[in-house]
Amino acid sequence: MLPVSGAGTGVAARPPIPACLSSPPVPLLPHETGTVIDQDLKTPAIRLRGVRKRFPGTTEDAVAALDLDVERGSIVALIGPSGCGKTTTLRMINRLIEPTAGRIEIEGDDVSNQPPVELRRGIGYVIQQVGLFPHRTIAANIATVPRSLGWDRSRVQERVRELAGVVGIDAQMLDRYPDELSGGQQQRVGVARALAADPPVLLMDEPFGAVDPIVRGRLQDELLELQNRLHKTIVLVTHDLDEAIKVADQVALLNVGGILEQYATPDELLRAPASEFVERFVGEDRSMRRLALATVGDLPFEAGPVVDVDADVTTGLAVIDDHRSDWLGLVEDETFLGWVPREQLVVGTELRQIERFLPAAQVAPSSTLRSALEIIMTSRTSVAVVNDAGRFRGTVTLERIRAGLAGDLDAPTEHAA
Amino acid sequence: MSLVLGQRAIPRDTTLWEWFTDPVTWTGSGGILVSLGDTVALCAAVIVASAILAVPVSAYLAHRRLAQVTSAWLVNIGRALPTFAVAALLVPISLRGGYGFEPWPIFIALTLLTVPPMFLSTYVAVKEVDEAAVNAARAMGFTERAVLLSVELPLASTVIFTGLRVAAVQVVATEPIRAFLGGDGLGRYIRDGIGQNNATLTVGGTFLIAALAGLTGITLTAIERLAKPYGVRRLRADRSSRPGETDEVDVTDVAEPAGSHAAAGRLR
Repeated sequence: MLPVSGAGTGVAARPPIPACLSSPPVPLLPHETGTVIDQDLKTPAIRLRGVRKRFPGTTEDAVAALDLDVERGSIVALIGPSGCGKTTTLRMINRLIEPTAGRIEIEGDDVSNQPPVELRRGIGYVIQQVGLFPHRTIAANIATVPRSLGWDRSRVQERVRELAGVVGIDAQMLDRYPDELSGGQQQRVGVARALAADPPVLLMDEPFGAVDPIVRGRLQDELLELQNRLHKTIVLVTHDLDEAIKVADQVALLNVGGILEQYATPDELLRAPASEFVERFVGEDRSMRRLALATVGDLPFEAGPVVDVDADVTTGLAVIDDHRSDWLGLVEDETFLGWVPREQLVVGTELRQIERFLPAAQVAPSSTLRSALEIIMTSRTSVAVVNDAGRFRGTVTLERIRAGLAGDLDAPTEHAA
Repeated sequence: MSLVLGQRAIPRDTTLWEWFTDPVTWTGSGGILVSLGDTVALCAAVIVASAILAVPVSAYLAHRRLAQVTSAWLVNIGRALPTFAVAALLVPISLRGGYGFEPWPIFIALTLLTVPPMFLSTYVAVKEVDEAAVNAARAMGFTERAVLLSVELPLASTVIFTGLRVAAVQVVATEPIRAFLGGDGLGRYIRDGIGQNNATLTVGGTFLIAALAGLTGITLTAIERLAKPYGVRRLRADRSSRPGETDEVDVTDVAEPAGSHAAAGRLR
């Protein structure tokens, strides 16, 4: 493909393609709309080839010949039981551990050719225990790498203030010390410190393992939000499947001894486990986990037993017969008005005149299937109305959720307007 | 020397008060001021020498996690050395070499007394520094030298200083044996008190030594305060870098699940 020109303007910026070349049209993948040229896109940001680690004095490999490509700008979660070598793998990327064999490339450069100290200054690193320097202020902690790199004072200061804003640390806290902060705040500072010199690659070793579940959930949300803005290449080690599913674009599931069992999107991992081990690891409730992964908007659009309020009763009856429903939904100008029961649908009356029941169950396209299910169950209905900021978008039924789980939720779905 | 000259004999019925308030007690070649000077000079020399011998080597070995067993072993042997016997054994060697009764025998003996605890406290202090901070430093691209100098030593400094202080007080309290080995210093009053069967001298000398030991502890604490930057000083030794005990939970920030349970319809 041709290099994409024009900064950040996506599809519109593509140069006109001569007619002879333009068919069939090649759709742009979402990640192709940036400013990087295609050649770069083909090299993964991080590439592991046959990376093996055996610690001295042991007879088994901690990591067995591992191949792994991490796409630029994506979050990859390394997950697996204890002893699966996930942390070892992570630490080999910035040479905190030297591989026994194999090759690790970052942006095409073999890391073993780079001095560890300089390599590490170019890679962000976040650990579970945070590891802030307790004798230095928050500002000094965040400034660690820029100062090592010899940035001048004012630039460091400016960067520290900027990062405090990025991770949500109050500027007044910058002169405080780590032990004056809560665990969640400390972890935010840890992330700020890792981001300080704007490294393209971020390694995170169970970054949210030490905080309580509520703070963890919030930090995960913040990470995703941050990633939406910064587009780092992130490798994250976790033992928490829910965390991997929530934050990762790709999940690498490792078995004991560093054997890669499956490398797939979270949905594929849950939908189509590659082995018995994966199946056991993701658990019997994997369908339930998938519910948390997909949103209502991921399901194929379904209008449901719904007609315009100005339609006549005969049409209405035909629609609910079609859907084998006992209720008919009425819509006016994209606004869902309510439900009317079948027994009220007497030929000759106007639909508008019939007494309506307000919908108990309403969801947004961005709701997860899990919350949609929850809402349907607690409202004792079998159908929820999908409203997008007040505009009627369709309905979602238990049956539809079930059918959705049987399919591939990663596949892009066409949504009716 | 003093063994020959001895302390100016004083009447046995002199009270402690009379002894301490007599200007002659303080001045002159056998006076308290000179003896104090001798003791302080020797103790300071021993402490500085021990610190130079023990701290850098110990800190480096602990940083590299080297010689853990060997160091523990050497430290234990060192602690078992009887200081008085070592000094006594060194005196004839020193005399034969033409170095006299002091200061070398007592200096070496006291240094051997002080090096092991300083070595041990430094080793433990550096080794026990929160591993997360050390790992993080390394992962941020600190050189090994920087890991030791800007992370491990500052965080270990409180424990190292404590070891130093304990060792210093021990040196001051042990130094008076010098008077029994042909030397001077504050120990001379105890020696002469015993020699002259004069309890006033013995008790007075003991009092002086105890006071000096206490003062040493206070002085070193003050020096420690001045030497440490605020960030290190404010850390309590027992919580060098653990994350906050309490996680703030701001429930209002936690997102509610999407969707609304608006009107209560009765759909089935």
